[in-house]
Amino acid sequence: MADISEDRANLTNVVKALGEYLTSEESDMLQKGVQFLAMIVARSPQEKLNSQSARVLTSFFAGKLDDSVTIKPALEGLASLASLPLLTSAEVNNIAQALFAHVKMKAITQDVRFKVFSIIDSLMAFHRDVLRSMGSQFIVGYINLAEGEKDPRNLMVAFAIARVILIDFDVSDHVEGMFNILFCYFPITFRPPPNDKYGITTIDLRMALRGAMAATPTFGPMAIPVFLEKISAGSRVTKKDTLQTMASCLPVYGSALARVSARKLWNALKLEIFQPVDSETEEEALKAFQVLVKTIYTDEEAAVESNEDVQGFARDACEECIQILKEPEKSLARPATKILCAFMSTTPSVARYTISQAVPHLVSLFHNPDEISSRPATLVLLAELTNAARDSMLYQASHTSGAEPPLTPYKDDVLGILSVGLTSTNTRNMALAGLKAMASTRNLLSDEELAFIVHNVNQIIEGNVDEFDDSSNDVLEVLSTISEYAPRHVADQTLPLLFSSLPDQAPSRHSASERAKIWRTLSALQTVCTQQELFESLVIRLTTKLDLLCFPLSEQAKIISEDPEPTAAYAHMILKTLADTLSIKVKQRHADVPKYIDRLVSNIFNLFMTSAFMSNEQAMVATDSRLIQVAAEIVTLVVQSLPIQRQQSYSNGVCKAITVGNVADIAHGFQKTVSTRHLSLFEVSSTSNERNLMALLAAAIVAFYKEISLSLGNIGEFLDMLLKWVLDVADNDLQRYSALHIMASILNRHVDELSSFLIDKLDVFWDKEISNQTLPNERRIRAISAWIWVTKALLVRKHPLAMTFSERLYNTFGDETVGWEAARAIGDIASPDPVFTKVNHAEIKVLFVQKYVGVVLPQLINFAKDNEDPIKQTASLVALTSLIKVIPRGAYVHQMPQLIPLLLRGLDLPDADIRSNVIDTFLAAAEGDTSEKSLVSEHTVTLVNSMLRNSKVGEMTSTKVRISALRYLAVLPSIVRYDVLHPYKLTVLRELAMVLDDPKRAVRKEAVDARTNW
Amino acid sequence: MAGEVYNPNPIVFSTAKAAAGRQSDLLAHSLWINDSSSSSEDEAEEVEAIDQDEIFDLIRSIYDPEHPNTLEELRVVSAPQVTVGTNRITVEFTPTVPHCGMSTLIGLCIRVRLLRSLPERYKIDIFVKPGSHQSENAVNKQLNDKERVAAALENPVLLDTVEQCLANVGSRGAIIV
Repeated sequence: MADISEDRANLTNVVKALGEYLTSEESDMLQKGVQFLAMIVARSPQEKLNSQSARVLTSFFAGKLDDSVTIKPALEGLASLASLPLLTSAEVNNIAQALFAHVKMKAITQDVRFKVFSIIDSLMAFHRDVLRSMGSQFIVGYINLAEGEKDPRNLMVAFAIARVILIDFDVSDHVEGMFNILFCYFPITFRPPPNDKYGITTIDLRMALRGAMAATPTFGPMAIPVFLEKISAGSRVTKKDTLQTMASCLPVYGSALARVSARKLWNALKLEIFQPVDSETEEEALKAFQVLVKTIYTDEEAAVESNEDVQGFARDACEECIQILKEPEKSLARPATKILCAFMSTTPSVARYTISQAVPHLVSLFHNPDEISSRPATLVLLAELTNAARDSMLYQASHTSGAEPPLTPYKDDVLGILSVGLTSTNTRNMALAGLKAMASTRNLLSDEELAFIVHNVNQIIEGNVDEFDDSSNDVLEVLSTISEYAPRHVADQTLPLLFSSLPDQAPSRHSASERAKIWRTLSALQTVCTQQELFESLVIRLTTKLDLLCFPLSEQAKIISEDPEPTAAYAHMILKTLADTLSIKVKQRHADVPKYIDRLVSNIFNLFMTSAFMSNEQAMVATDSRLIQVAAEIVTLVVQSLPIQRQQSYSNGVCKAITVGNVADIAHGFQKTVSTRHLSLFEVSSTSNERNLMALLAAAIVAFYKEISLSLGNIGEFLDMLLKWVLDVADNDLQRYSALHIMASILNRHVDELSSFLIDKLDVFWDKEISNQTLPNERRIRAISAWIWVTKALLVRKHPLAMTFSERLYNTFGDETVGWEAARAIGDIASPDPVFTKVNHAEIKVLFVQKYVGVVLPQLINFAKDNEDPIKQTASLVALTSLIKVIPRGAYVHQMPQLIPLLLRGLDLPDADIRSNVIDTFLAAAEGDTSEKSLVSEHTVTLVNSMLRNSKVGEMTSTKVRISALRYLAVLPSIVRYDVLHPYKLTVLRELAMVLDDPKRAVRKEAVDARTNW
Repeated sequence: MAGEVYNPNPIVFSTAKAAAGRQSDLLAHSLWINDSSSSSEDEAEEVEAIDQDEIFDLIRSIYDPEHPNTLEELRVVSAPQVTVGTNRITVEFTPTVPHCGMSTLIGLCIRVRLLRSLPERYKIDIFVKPGSHQSENAVNKQLNDKERVAAALENPVLLDTVEQCLANVGSRGAIIV
């Protein structure tokens, strides 16, 4: 072989050497000879074959085709030759003729047939002209070859060849033959056998066949009857396939044919749309229908451009639908509208015609006094049409920008009836949907008309509270749609209305309805005010209102100090509104968020700091920790959106507040006293309210970039001071966690400067604060949570010490007092939290959880299996459950077989939280489990009994556990084979019948679902 | 199923939003807006009795045997048509047309659903709304006769039809995407 490539031998020598074999009378010898030669040819480099040897070889192989013994190697030889560009037309002719003459497709096996198809395919690729010149001889020959083919792999090639023939060759005389060898396969019902080595799917075949079928318009007349038959007779799959094929074939078959057969096709499609087997088929039918209409009308588009009147098929179909729409409340009206909507996105003229027919019809229907009862339905249909009209604009927007929306001629009428619709409760929501559709159509409504809509919608807001409640969502959608285009109208008309309905004082404790109304108004504001200008006025109005609430006038202050809670709740609602609106804006990446560092965040600091300072003298509303938490949300949202430079200058202000207590830089606002006061967070003399402010500072610091340099002096010392503060000074969780967040964020960003801090923690802190049994439990638990945050900060950036820190926790598992806390910490370390996130610019490496789990999980499993120290063993179970609860399923699923027995033991632990964690883990593990290969199948008895025990109110007091247990029972039938479950079926059904009488509604609901599934 | 379609083009009503409107929930609105579900886990001893909304939730998403619509959409059943006593539940339903031959089947579906989903202590009565069906008495009799219901459920074809109607019953009025 190497000889040939290196020119030491040529093919002639090979042939000569083989001479005896190649001419042998004995079939065995002959076969070997031919095979050898074929292999040589296949492996020789192309450039080594000259045209002469090609000719000789071709005629040789072609000559061997008639012998059943040599046909296989001969075909192989030809296959390699066929792809040679140097073959002359004579040889190509020769090959093709020989194939047609000698190869009996029915007599040879499928892989040999595959060779035949490959040869033709190669010839097609390299010598198409020659084949074309063979004319009908080739086509007839090929038809004979391809007839009756069944193997999917061969069919894939055959369909491809057929497509080329149909497109490139003159097939006019053989349309029927080609049609027969293609359409006999339609529709494809092939199902790939399991472990199919060629990996040909039904879809591959379908697409290949569809390509061939749609290759020539000449198939049209014969294809249509086939389509019709398959649609009406076929199964679901067939129908879908047929409809899709029609959609791709019709444009090829041309408008003339489409026009002729439109009526028949329409009748068939109509059936699928009006009485759909399923929604998918319906959709496909609609698509096919659109294609049909487009095919018919695209050609004449230019001709009828100016003409309102559309003739022929579309007109008939349209009229038929409108006939049905005479009873808009009936169920057939929906599909009829769908058809009309489908018309919209076909061609502009058809769309115009449809609107000119349908819209006036619906409008007059609405005005007809006899049809008042059907008004809601009429409006629904109208809204759908408007939507379709808008969407059709989007399609055409690419080539005809600035075109007039098709609905323009009728907009006054439609607007009119929609406004009427607004006034009555039963049509209101539909009318709002219609208005929204209109408002979101570009170029449709003028400025005044938008103002008119806003005015009308406002009347709903002003009206009866209950009525507004029913349609508030739709109202708000309309308003926010409009505020995208014309914020001025909403700002001028709606906002004053909403703001004025917010009282200056909080409602009293007992007026729940008043409070609900405020919350409704605020939610409405939140939805409407994401737009820039509107948000600005929202911020101004609400901060003013907050200030009024938190620093009341003297006579009001007396009332508030008697019962500050309602006022605090009201302020909380306002802050929550601001925070929620901001978070929506951040998600949508609005550019105006950073500027609220001055306009909003500064005010918030001002307000809360002043309140904290003044709280010594009188009760202040804004010292409530719940308020501070929401305020902290706002601070984080704004700070994280700042660019680096701005963050740097801002951080200086924050650091000043922390180190020297000077808050003047970050707390501008209404209250002027603040800048003269001194914030003494770290002094023992500070009040609890002052210390709570740590939360606001923490909220800013957690969102800093790592490039920000903090002017806090020696960072390590600062962190140690923070830790000490956490253990000794802080007096509630808010303060402690805030300080820990600050510490962890700084550690996460600047770990490289802090190695001595870390070593000190491992060597000193652990022994002194955590494993020291003489300290009070409370303090040790606090130290553990500090440990958690240190570890977290390291883990998310995959710092090498992270594992040392987390593994150290095992040492306390045997401790009776804090063992469980340390165990829970294992889970807490991996749990997702709002501090270390990408948006907060934390240093995070991918897959850190997986790495952590990969190390910790096997260790925990070993501890949990170890019987020697029962306390440690139980603690490991606790650690396991708390860890598995927080990590993604993929991280532990491969350990599941080992985990299940351990988890089942966890179900016997007395702690309700742990039990519900375990069951939730089972639930998470069940996701994606199938009954064929179930992980839990062998534990079915234990699981069923345990879940039943946990689901009964008499034995399990926690509602949450009962619900989880029932949920798991509900999924069991889908993840365990029926024959395994069958023995327990009666027991489960009987026991669940008792659970159906549970005192809690939510439990009953799960019980019903679980019982239904069994 | 039988070839005859009793009401080929029934009126479809829009449905109430599933979440909206349990009166007791609205009144329990607390002072603080609870933005997380943490507070919903009250382990209190408070007993929530089965009420008409709950029964309605159980049956609202049963499919009509004739149409791809639910009983709620066709206004065959509604919450006010359910009455709950201490150990007795009465469900009334309205066939879409007076000659509807599917009424017994609809009633049967409701009965099967409630049999499976309610504690055994309840006695369930199912009636056609008075005056809404031409053979009202016959239908009522058939639906509330224990033996006949049991016999009907022995019939595999009939049971299969019932199962089909109950296919999506767990959605409780929520729209499934």
